[in-house]
Amino acid sequence: MNTGLLSVRNVHVNFGGMKVLQGINLDVAQGEIRGLIGPNGAGKTTMLNVISGILRPQQGDIQLAGTSIVGLKPSQIAELGLGRTFQTSQLFKGMTVLENLMTGLHRRTRGGFLTAGFNLKLRQVEEEQMEEQAWRALEFVGMTQFAERTATELSFGQQRVLEIARTLIGEPKVVLLDEPAVGLSATRLIELDTLLRRIRDEKGVTLILIEHVIRLVMEVCDQVTVLSSGSCIADGAPQMVRNDPSVIEAYLGKELRARH
Amino acid sequence: MAPFRRRNVLLVLLAIAIIVPPFANYYYLFVANLVAIYVLLAIGLNILVGYTGQLAFANAAMFGIGAYATGLLQVRLGWSFWLAFPVGGVIAAAVGLAISLPALRLKGLYLALSTLAFAQATQWVFLHWDAVTFGAGGFKTPPLSFDPLPISKPLGLYYLSLLLAVVLFLFAQNLVASRVGRAFIALRDSDFAAESLGVDLLRYKALAFGVSGFYAGIAGGLNSALLNFVAPEGFDLFQMVLQKAMIVVGGLGSIVGSLLGAGIIVILLEVLREVKGLQEIVFGALLVIFVLFMRGGLVGLLKRKVRGWEEPLRLVSRRVRPKQSETSQTAARTEKADS
Repeated sequence: MNTGLLSVRNVHVNFGGMKVLQGINLDVAQGEIRGLIGPNGAGKTTMLNVISGILRPQQGDIQLAGTSIVGLKPSQIAELGLGRTFQTSQLFKGMTVLENLMTGLHRRTRGGFLTAGFNLKLRQVEEEQMEEQAWRALEFVGMTQFAERTATELSFGQQRVLEIARTLIGEPKVVLLDEPAVGLSATRLIELDTLLRRIRDEKGVTLILIEHVIRLVMEVCDQVTVLSSGSCIADGAPQMVRNDPSVIEAYLGKELRARH
Repeated sequence: MAPFRRRNVLLVLLAIAIIVPPFANYYYLFVANLVAIYVLLAIGLNILVGYTGQLAFANAAMFGIGAYATGLLQVRLGWSFWLAFPVGGVIAAAVGLAISLPALRLKGLYLALSTLAFAQATQWVFLHWDAVTFGAGGFKTPPLSFDPLPISKPLGLYYLSLLLAVVLFLFAQNLVASRVGRAFIALRDSDFAAESLGVDLLRYKALAFGVSGFYAGIAGGLNSALLNFVAPEGFDLFQMVLQKAMIVVGGLGSIVGSLLGAGIIVILLEVLREVKGLQEIVFGALLVIFVLFMRGGLVGLLKRKVRGWEEPLRLVSRRVRPKQSETSQTAARTEKADS
């Protein structure tokens, strides 16, 4: 059975004897922002690594738009329309901001090494198109003035945004975001909130978000899935999840009770 | 505006390289030819090590395979140089691809060790497979002739080397400033991120090995013709250190750096040949200085001090320019207001 754009069925992952994911199911609909939360060690990042193909599940199936992606290479899964960002900055530090974004268009372009080396027409056309698109992507996130900077000269928050932009430029169907808010100031957090909504509304991209900043999750996500010790313990609208006793017990407990 | 920008400097160097050699004596011509050969080696190695970040030690062996293939095809099979030479380059590229297969899954030190082992094995084959390679003594290659062109062998070979160095220099510059080159750098800087953007790691690593193998193979073919002789000792570990030193001194991840590094080191080694022992001392000191204090190499210095030496990793077109849109202008203004 296939429901939704991304569907995870009964996925198991073991590291040696340790059961990191135990029969996870997840269905994410087109155009949804899904929050994936849970205490440290719950298996959230493992989950993203399994979906993006870095890890292979011992059991279970994952479908992206109806195609099974288990066993494919990460680059093949990316070709099928899955993008992701990482917990720590993974910008290409030898490149400028613009060049980082152009690398995000890799899967949208075709020129091989002879085309490139002999500067054939295709290379010239593609390079021009890529640069144009990179400028547009910078406009989308309001960072055109940084185009020619080396990626590592940007502030921490800008690096995070650039990484999201680099993923989006390849027009993925689904983007996995691994803690995009980590280390951001309150103002930056509001900007990120707005950006995530704009990505969903203007680009129609489906987002899956791992996040520890609960406020962001509660505000921006349509649906929230809670993992604890490798199992899914709750799944539903943010309001429902935040009032679920098992969730409060597992993890949210202190913070939310204190606020009420 | 910027009279010492890269393009101008390179054009002047090229003009000198074209005009002066007919008037130079045999020795200078030989050194100039050596520079052209090492430029090819350094560019190929820099694509693999500097751009793609693969710490491989097989380039000297590739150089040897190009030389042996070109030489042996002439001596054993009676081919003409003009056929054996390009085939030698292709063979080296094929071997490069082949050794990349086991090496593809290895990183860092493990890759270094496995390619080093391959280089030693190649050396052993050159030395001991007497029936084909003539063993430790090496072998003489047939004299090269440029008939019916009215040009002497040394001068003809020099111009051939120069032509190839220029063409393959331009090829490399185009390559690194394209989606392929950016894929190389992406897998050097963050292989996870590269994969998540659809860059097939194995494919691009293999490509980098193949391209660097081809450059080394072409250099090997030219070297065999230059010396009229092929023997194992030219392709040993010292040769590898020499090539690595060139890209470190010139600048890792820079095509023009490869050119400068190769030129400077070849000429320096020749100048110091007069004084015994000085070669090693100066060479060692140079490496220490560049590794400790000048990580960007000579090109890093030029980029900081002289305008017009930037090496953009894209085809900079004049048509796509920042039409400062309204959003970015407001953003710029708010940024100013902030500070």
